[in-house]
Amino acid sequence: MKTKKLISLLLIAALLVFSLAGCGSKTNEETAGTGENVTNADTKDEIITLKIYAQYSDDDTKIPYDYAVEELKKAYPNVRLELDIQAQDDGQKLQTYAATGNLPDIFQVGTSQIKAFKESGNILVLDDYAKSTGFDKKLHQSTQSLLWTEDGHAYAFPYAGNELVLMYYNKDLFEKHGVKVPETYDELKEAVVKFKEVGIVPLSIFAKEKWITTALYDVFATRLDAGGIKKLDEGKGSATEDAYVTAAEKLHELVNLGLLPSGATNMNYDQAASLFYEEKAAMFINGQWEIQASTEKLGDKVDWMFYPTFNENPDAKYAFSGGGAPGGYAVSPHSKHKDLAAEVAAFISEKYCEAKYLFRANPLLAIQLDPSLQPAEKFPPMMEKLANELPNITSTTAFAWGLTEPKYKVAIEDQSQFLLTPKYSPKEFITELDKALKNLKN
Amino acid sequence: MERFFSNKKAIAIFVLPTLILFTIIVFYPLIQIFIKSFYSWNGLSKGTFIGFKNYLRLFEDTTFKISIKNGLIFALFLTIYQIGLGTVLAFAASNVKTKGRNFFRIVYFLPVVLSVTVVCQLWLSVFNSEYGLLNKIFQIMGMDFMQDWLSDRNKAIYVLAFVNAWQYLGYQFALILAGIKSIPNHYYEAAQIDGASPLKAHLKITIPMLSETYRFCLVLAITGGLNAFTQMFIMTGGGPGTSSYTLTYMMYSSSFRAGEYGYGMAAASFLVLECLIATIVINRLVARERIVY
Repeated sequence: MKTKKLISLLLIAALLVFSLAGCGSKTNEETAGTGENVTNADTKDEIITLKIYAQYSDDDTKIPYDYAVEELKKAYPNVRLELDIQAQDDGQKLQTYAATGNLPDIFQVGTSQIKAFKESGNILVLDDYAKSTGFDKKLHQSTQSLLWTEDGHAYAFPYAGNELVLMYYNKDLFEKHGVKVPETYDELKEAVVKFKEVGIVPLSIFAKEKWITTALYDVFATRLDAGGIKKLDEGKGSATEDAYVTAAEKLHELVNLGLLPSGATNMNYDQAASLFYEEKAAMFINGQWEIQASTEKLGDKVDWMFYPTFNENPDAKYAFSGGGAPGGYAVSPHSKHKDLAAEVAAFISEKYCEAKYLFRANPLLAIQLDPSLQPAEKFPPMMEKLANELPNITSTTAFAWGLTEPKYKVAIEDQSQFLLTPKYSPKEFITELDKALKNLKN
Repeated sequence: MERFFSNKKAIAIFVLPTLILFTIIVFYPLIQIFIKSFYSWNGLSKGTFIGFKNYLRLFEDTTFKISIKNGLIFALFLTIYQIGLGTVLAFAASNVKTKGRNFFRIVYFLPVVLSVTVVCQLWLSVFNSEYGLLNKIFQIMGMDFMQDWLSDRNKAIYVLAFVNAWQYLGYQFALILAGIKSIPNHYYEAAQIDGASPLKAHLKITIPMLSETYRFCLVLAITGGLNAFTQMFIMTGGGPGTSSYTLTYMMYSSSFRAGEYGYGMAAASFLVLECLIATIVINRLVARERIVY
C-alpha cells in the first residue's frame, strides 16, 4: 500500500514538473553586442526589443533569419529581436494578433493579408522608409511590383524575387525506360502511360498542400493563356474561357491515366519528395527552391524541363507559372518604435536576400546585391540553366499566396485539389470556380 | 439546507461568478455569431450590414450542401458505432463472468485520453495509400482491395468518422457501463427467477432502464458528429477538394482562409441551430419519463 502511495506521489510530482516545464516559454531572443551604427535617437543607450513574427522552420527559413540576426548585431547593436515563430495556420495567429491589438513590431505578411490589414489600419505604410533606407533603389526593374502595390504604396519589404514553378525529372529513369523528355502534351501523355506500365509514378506531388495543386493547374492553364490563374484573380477573364476549360480537361485526362501517385491529395512534402529522391517517381513539381535539395539527393540525375506545350499554342514554352507578389516584412503602425522597426524590417529583408544568394543557391531575389558577394558554393547546374533562361521568360503568373483575392484563392486551391482526384469532373471544377468568381464580382 | 435554499441572496452570490463567466465565454460570443452573420466582415474592420445575403449565398453554395451531408453522415456513424458497440462492450464488461474485464475497461478508455493529434497521425499511417498498414495487409493477403482511403471524395468522410468514433468509443462505453452499474440487482434476480436468459434480461431490463443514459449519449454523438472538425483539419484539410468539409470546417475555411468572417458566422449560426434542434428533438423523443428506482 505504502509503495503504491509512493509511486502515485512520484508520478504526480513528475507530471507537475513536466507541466510546469511545458508552460514555461522559451523566448527566442537574439541580443546585439555593442557598436555604433544606431540610427534612432531613442536607441542610443538603451536596448530596444522588437518583436518579430517570422518563418523559422527549415533551412530555407532558418538560415536567412539567423544570418540576418547576426548582421543586425553588427549594424544595430542596441536592437534585440524577440522571435515569435510563424505558425502554418493560414494567417490565423497574425489575424488574431491584429484583431486583439497585439501585433508584433515586425511581421511577415502575404499579399492577401496586406489588403485586410490595410483596410483595418493594421499595417504601416512604408513609402518613406523605402526611400530613406534606399531599399527602393536596390530593387530590380522586374521586382518593383513586389514592393509597390497596386495603390502605389509600399506595405512590406520583399525578399523573395520572382520565383518559379519547375517540373523536375530524373534523367536516368527517362533514359532507362526509353521515354522522351516531354515537350508536348502528347509526349507527356505517352510518358505517363509508359512509366505507369513499368510501375513508376509519372509525377510526384505533395497535393495535401493546396498551393501546389493550384500551381499544377496553373502550369496547364499557362499553356493556353499566359495569364494563368493570375488573370482570373485580376478579374480579367472567366473560368469558362476555353483556355481554363481545356487545361482542366487535359490535366484530368492525365490524372485518369495515372499521372499521380495513389493518395496524392493526402501526401505531404516529405512523402512526395521521397518518392522522387528514391527514384520511384520520374517527375516532381515544386518551386525553384527545390533545386538545392534535389541536387543534394540525386546529383547529376536530376534536371528541370520546360512545361510541355499544347498543340493549340506551341509558343508557350517560356510562359512560366509562379512569380512574385507583394509581401515580406511589414511593420505594425501601433509599434512603440515604428521608425526603428521599419528600418530593421528593410535591413532584414536585404540580409535575407544575401543569405539566399550566399547559402541557398538562389539568385531569384527582390533586390540587387553587392557584386562582390560570392555564393559559398557554386550554383547547381539546374540553377545555372535557370539563370541562363531567365531573360527569355515571356510571362509569369502567381503562386497561390500571391493571389490578391482570398475568396478566389480558397476556391482555386480547393477546386484544383479536387481536380486531381479521378472522380471529380472538369465540368464540376469549372462550374465551382466560375461560381466563386461571380460571387467575387457581386 | 432548507434555510440555505430559501436565502435568495446566498444563491445569487454562489451562482453569479459562474453565470458571469458563462455569459462572457459562451453567451456573448454566441450572440455575436448571430449578429455578425448579417455583416460582410473581414474580422478586423467594423463590417457592413448586408441583411440575409450571407444566408442566401449559403443555400446556393455547393460546399454548404456537402458540409451538411457530411455532418449527418458523421453523426450517424458515431451513433451507430459508439452507442452500438459501446453497449455491447459495456454488457460484456459488466458481466462478472467476463475474464479480464477490469483490463478491458482501461483499454477501451485509453484512446480517449490520447491526444487527438497523436491518434490522427496514427490512423494517417494506417490509411496511407502508398505505405499504409491497411493497404499493405490487403497486398500481403493477395486481395485486390487497395484503396485511396483519404483521397477518395466518397470514402474520406467515413474514414474520418471512423477515427473519431474509434477514439471516443471509450467515453460512451464508460457512460453506458456506469448506467448499467446503477441498475439495482434485484431486477436481474427477478428476471433470473422468471427464467429469462442474460440476453433477454438485457433487452427487457438494461436497455429500457438505460434510456436516460442513451439520451445523453445520443446528444453527445449527434452534436459531436455535426460539430466534427479536428479529424478533417489534421488528416485531410477538408479534402480532397471540399469533400470532407463539415459546417465547422466551412466556418473555419470561410473565416480564416478566405477572410469572410461574416459568411463563416452564417455557417456557424446554422450549426448552432442544427445542434440546438437535434438536442431538443432527442430530449423530446427519448426517455421522456424519468426513471426512479
